[in-house]
Amino acid sequence: MRPKNYQAINHPPSNEFELNFGPNHPGIEGNYAFRVKLNGDEVLEAKADAGYLHRGFEKLMEGRLWIQNIALVPRICVPDPVPMEVCYSLAVEEIAGLEVPERAQWIRVLQLEMSRLAAHLFAFGGHAATCGMYTPSFWGVADRDLMLDRFEELTGGRVYSIYNIPGGVRREVPDGFLERLGALLDYLESRLPDYDNLFFTNQVFILRARDVGVMSQEQALKWGVTGPNLRATGLAFDVRRDDPYLVYDQIEFDIPTQPGGDCLSRNLVRRAELIQSIRIMRQVIERLPSIKGPIRCPIPNPLAWNVPAGEAYPRIESSKGELAYYVVSTGGDKPYRVHVRGPSSMHAVQVLEKLAVGSRLEDIAQIMFSLDACPPEVDR
Amino acid sequence: MSKELNLWLDKLLSDIESVKVKRNSSRRIRIDVEPRALPALLELLQGRASYVHLSAISCVDWIDDDQFELVYHVWSYETNSLVSAHTRIPREPGVYLSIYDLYEPAGFFERDIHEMYGVYFEGSPDMGKFILTEWNGPPPMRKEFDSEAFVNQTFEWENYRPQWLKDLEEEGGGISIRPEDARR
Repeated sequence: MRPKNYQAINHPPSNEFELNFGPNHPGIEGNYAFRVKLNGDEVLEAKADAGYLHRGFEKLMEGRLWIQNIALVPRICVPDPVPMEVCYSLAVEEIAGLEVPERAQWIRVLQLEMSRLAAHLFAFGGHAATCGMYTPSFWGVADRDLMLDRFEELTGGRVYSIYNIPGGVRREVPDGFLERLGALLDYLESRLPDYDNLFFTNQVFILRARDVGVMSQEQALKWGVTGPNLRATGLAFDVRRDDPYLVYDQIEFDIPTQPGGDCLSRNLVRRAELIQSIRIMRQVIERLPSIKGPIRCPIPNPLAWNVPAGEAYPRIESSKGELAYYVVSTGGDKPYRVHVRGPSSMHAVQVLEKLAVGSRLEDIAQIMFSLDACPPEVDR
Repeated sequence: MSKELNLWLDKLLSDIESVKVKRNSSRRIRIDVEPRALPALLELLQGRASYVHLSAISCVDWIDDDQFELVYHVWSYETNSLVSAHTRIPREPGVYLSIYDLYEPAGFFERDIHEMYGVYFEGSPDMGKFILTEWNGPPPMRKEFDSEAFVNQTFEWENYRPQWLKDLEEEGGGISIRPEDARR
C-alpha cells in the first residue's frame, strides 16, 4: 500500500547498476573490495575500497624499539614477507652506519630469492583459479609449501621468519641446508614443464588472458607501475640490477621482459623470473661455503639502542615490484617515522581502477591477480 | 615554449638560495627546497632530467617545529638515481599544492597523507576517505594523537562485557566457565 503523497519518480531508462565486488569474494586477493559500475557485464567504473586490514603499522612502529619492529614489518605483506624485513634492516643499517658482513649479505640474497620463488608460485596459483583452473593453484600452493619447509629449517618460521635484523641475520645456515635447498631447486625446475603443459601453454589460459588488462609502456611509467608488471610492458628495469643492494652486483641474472602488457605477459614474466631466481640461488649455494666470517656485526644492546639521527630510503625489488622504506631517526630508541612504500599501493588502487574500466566483470579478478596485488600493503 | 621554460628556470634560480643540494651517494641526491619552489623544481626534474617515476611522497610530523615535512622521492630510469626533495610547510593550516598534474601516483600518496596527517592538497583528484572509512577522530598519524591513550579512554578492554555476552550468559551459555564449575 502506497502512502497518499506517493509520487513515482521517472528515472531515465538505464542498464547501469552498481555491484560491490568483495571483500568476501573468492576473486579478490586478500581483504579488499571494489565498487564497480556495470552495464551488463562491462565495467564502466571501478573504485577501490581499502581499509579492511588496516593495522596502523606505521603508527605502531613509532612506539616500539628499533629491534621490536622486526617482528612487525613482515606482517605488512603476507605472501612475500622477507623483503620487508630486509628493507627495514637496510634502512636502520644505513642510518646507524653498520657494515653488514659479506656472509650475511649472501644469506639475505638467498632468502630473498626463496621468498620471491614462493610468492610467484602463489601468484600463479591464484591466477589459475581465476581462469577456472584449480589444479595449478593446488600445485602452486603445494610446491610453495616445500619452500616453506626450507624457510622453517633456516629461520624457524614458515611464513614470518623474523630472521633479518639490523646488522645481519640471526642464525647460521644449518648443516646440509644448502644441499637440501639445491635438491628442492632441482625438483622445482623439473616441475616447470608440467606447469607449462598445464597452465602457461594451455589454450584455456592463453585465450582468457591475452589482451585483457592491457597497458602500454607509456601508461605504465605514467601510472607508477613497477616490478614484473613494468617488465611485462617491455622495459627491462630491475632494482636489483639498476639500484643494486646487498651483493646483487656480483650475481649474474637476466631481466626477462615481455612486450604485451596484458595478463598473459605479466604471467610469462613471472614464469621466466622463476628460472632466474633458481639461477641466483644456485650461485649463492655455490659461493656461500667459501665466504667465511660472522653473520652479523656487533650492535649495541638492542633494548637501549639509540640510533643516531638521520634518514634513509632504501629500495628493494620484491616479488611484486619496488618496495621502499622511508625511515627517520631523531637519535632516540624508537623510529621517529617509518613510511612503507609497498608496490601494491600503486597496483591495487590506481592501476587496477584504470585497467578494470572497459573490461568485463569476470576479468577483474584476473587482472588483480595478474598484477599480483597485495592489499595488506595498501592498508598497512 | 622556450620562453616559458626560461621563466621557470629563472624562477627556480631566483630561489636558488633556498635550494640546497646534497649528494648522499652516487645514486641518492637530497634537495631541500622552499614550498613555493617545489612544484617548479619537480617539473624541471621530470621534464628536463627524466625523473619520471614518483616513488613515494612521505610526510613527517615535526611537532616541535610546528611543521610538516613532505618528501618527494623521484627516480630517473635513465640516470638511475633518486632525488629526495624535502620541503617543510606550516602545520596550520596544513594546505599544500597537489602535484597530480605532474605525477599521477601522487593521487594515492596525497590522499593517504590527507587521511593520516590532515594535510589538504589543493588540486588533488580525490581527498575522500580511503582506509579509515569509519574513523571520525583526528588524523591518527599526527604526533599529538596517542593511540594507546585513545584505546584506554575509549574501550573498556579490561572488563569487556558486551550485551550479547550478558544475554548469552543469562540463558546459561557464554564463553566463561566459573572456576567452581570447571572443577566439578
